[in-house]
Amino acid sequence: MEAVQPNVGFVFGLFAAIIITSALLVVTLKNIFHCALALIVCLTGVAGIFVLLHAEFLAAVQVLIYVGAVSVLIIFSVMLTSNLASRRIVQTNQNALVAGFAALIFGAGALLLLKLHDIWPKAGSALPDDNVMTIGKLLMTDYMLPFEVVSVLMLAAMIGAIVLARGERS
Amino acid sequence: MTDYVSTLSIDIGLIGPELALLIAAAVILLLIFTRKADRFATAIGLIGLVVSMVLTVRQWDVKVGGFSGMVTVDQFAVLFKLLFAVASGLTLLLAERYFHAKHIARPEFTALLLVSTMGMMVMAGTTDLIVIFLGLEIMSVPLYVMAGFNRRSLESNESGIKYFIMGAFATGFLLMGIALIYGASETTDLRRIVTDFSYIATNAKLFLFTGAALMMVGFGFKVGAVPFHSWIPDVYQGAPTPVTAFFSVAPKAAGFAALLRIFAYGLKDLGALSDVWWILAVLTMTVGNILALRQENVKRMLAYSSIAHAGYMLVALAVGGADAASAVIFYLIGYTLFNLGGFTVVALLETRAGSRADFSEMAGLSKAHPYLTATLALFMFSLSGFPPTVGFFGKFYLFSAAVKGGFIWLTVIGVMNSFVSVYYYLRVVKVSYFDQIEGRFVPAPLSAGVLFVLIVTAVGTLGFGLFPDNVLEIARRAIQAFA
Repeated sequence: MEAVQPNVGFVFGLFAAIIITSALLVVTLKNIFHCALALIVCLTGVAGIFVLLHAEFLAAVQVLIYVGAVSVLIIFSVMLTSNLASRRIVQTNQNALVAGFAALIFGAGALLLLKLHDIWPKAGSALPDDNVMTIGKLLMTDYMLPFEVVSVLMLAAMIGAIVLARGERS
Repeated sequence: MTDYVSTLSIDIGLIGPELALLIAAAVILLLIFTRKADRFATAIGLIGLVVSMVLTVRQWDVKVGGFSGMVTVDQFAVLFKLLFAVASGLTLLLAERYFHAKHIARPEFTALLLVSTMGMMVMAGTTDLIVIFLGLEIMSVPLYVMAGFNRRSLESNESGIKYFIMGAFATGFLLMGIALIYGASETTDLRRIVTDFSYIATNAKLFLFTGAALMMVGFGFKVGAVPFHSWIPDVYQGAPTPVTAFFSVAPKAAGFAALLRIFAYGLKDLGALSDVWWILAVLTMTVGNILALRQENVKRMLAYSSIAHAGYMLVALAVGGADAASAVIFYLIGYTLFNLGGFTVVALLETRAGSRADFSEMAGLSKAHPYLTATLALFMFSLSGFPPTVGFFGKFYLFSAAVKGGFIWLTVIGVMNSFVSVYYYLRVVKVSYFDQIEGRFVPAPLSAGVLFVLIVTAVGTLGFGLFPDNVLEIARRAIQAFA
C-alpha cells in the first residue's frame, strides 16, 4: 500500500475545493434546479473526505442518504412544484451583508481559536481496516435498542407525512 | 456469533411501558379502516396508556439498567413516565370532544400522541445521550404533525410548519452538543462521564463547555426558554387547543427530565454553568410575564405564561443540588395538572362556533357555567401561585431551595415576577365573573371525558396543594436515583 499512497494533503485540498465551490454555487445560482445539482456535487465531495479519513461507513451513508435520497427528494419536489424549475430566484435579502459579516467573524474566530489552542483530542490509534464490520457488530449488540428505536421514529414520520399530505376523506 | 448474543441483556420487561404504547399505536393504525375508527382509537389509546401506567408503577422499586446500558429504570424515570402518561391520557379525553366539535376527527391523532408519549418515556428512561436524542426526536416528529393537524385552518398549518422548522433547527444544536461531549469524553453514557469527570474536565474542558452550551440551546428551544422562545406564541395559538395543552406540559416535562439528567447529574461538576442558567431563568420569566400582560387572546396569554413558568423552573438548574431538583419535579407535577386544566376550559369554550378564545368572549361565563368558572378560577389562582393550591407550594419549594443555595437576587426577581403574573391571570377571573355581555352567552356543552379531565386536574391542583409533603417526598425519592 505504501507505494501507491497518494499525497493526502493534495487530495484533501482537491475535495475541499470541490466542496466549497459547489456549496457557493448552491447559495448563489439563480435556478433552483441547478442549485440542487450543485448540492449533489457538494455532498459527494464530503463523502470523498470521509473516504480519505478511512470512515468508509460514513462515506457510504453519505452517498446513500444525502446524495441518493435527500437530493433526489429535493429534485422531485422542485419538478413536482409547478413552474419552480424555470423560475429565476433571488437568494439574497436585505440581511445578506450582515449575515455574511457575522459568518466571516465566526469563521475567523473559530480558526483563530484552533490556531491558538490545540484542543482536538487525538485518536489513540489508527482506525482498524475492518471498522465497517465493527460498526455493524456494535449496532446489533450494544446499540441494538437505539437501532430498533429509530424504526419507531421512521414510522412516526411516515404516518405524519401521510396524515398531512393525503386528501380529505369524504 | 454466540459470544455477541451472550453479552446482550435483553429484558423486555424493562421497556414494558414503552412497548404498551407502541402496541396500542400499532393496533390503532391496523384498525384504521374500520367504521367508527375514531371511537376505537380513543378507547384503545386509553387502554394502552393505563397498561403503560400500571407497568410503570410496578417498576418503582426497581433500579436496574439493561440493553447494554441503553435503558435505565429508576425512580426518576418512573415518576416522569407516569407524568407523561397522565398528561397524554387527559389530552386524549379532551381531544376527542374538541376534534369532534371541530370536525377534524381522525384516528391517526391518537396513534401519533401515543408514539410521542413513548418518545418522552424513552428520553426519561436512559442515561445515554444517543438514546435521549432519539427519544427527543420520536417525541418531536409527531408533535410537528399534531400542531398542523387542523389542515383547513391556516393558523394550524402555520403552527405546524413553524414548529417543525424551529424544532429541526434546535435539534441541530443539540446533536452538535452531543457530538462535542462525545469528542471530549469518548462516551455518550452519562454515568461514565460522571465517573471520569475530573479526567475529562482537565483534558478537554473547552470541548465540554462548548458541548454543554450547545445542548443548553437545543433543550432551551424545547422547554421554551428565552431567547429561544420565539416560536412558542404562534405555535401555541395556531395548534388545536388540546394539542396546545399537551405542548405546554408534556414536552416541557420531558425537556426538563433530560435537562436534569444531563445537567443535574452528568455534568453537575461543570462549574460556571450556574451563571448561564441564572441569566436564562431571569430572562425567561421576565420576558414571558411582561409579554403576557398585553395579550388579548387567552391561548396566547397562556403561551407566554408557559414561558414564564419555564423560567421559574430554570431557577432549579441555576441553584443545583437535590433540594432544587426535587422542587422542580414537584413544580412540574403541579404545573402539568393546573396548566392542562386551564387549557381544558379554554378548549371547551372554543368548541362553540366562531370562538377564537379571546378575553372578551369570557364575559358572562359565570352566569352560564358557575361551576366551570369556579374551576377556571382555581386554575388561575394556582398558575399565579396562591395558597393553598399546588402552584403556591411549587414556587415555595423552588424559591426556598434557591434561598438555601444563596441565590437571594434570583429569588427576589422570581417573586416579583410572580406578582406581575397575578395581573393577567386574575384578569381571566375578573372578565368571566364581572364583565357584562350584550345578548346571551352561548353555552359550551360538557362531555363525560372533559368532565373527567376537569375533575382530575382540579382535585389534583387542590389536593396536592393540601398535602404537598407527600408529593415532595416522592420527588425526593426520584432524585435519589442521581446519588
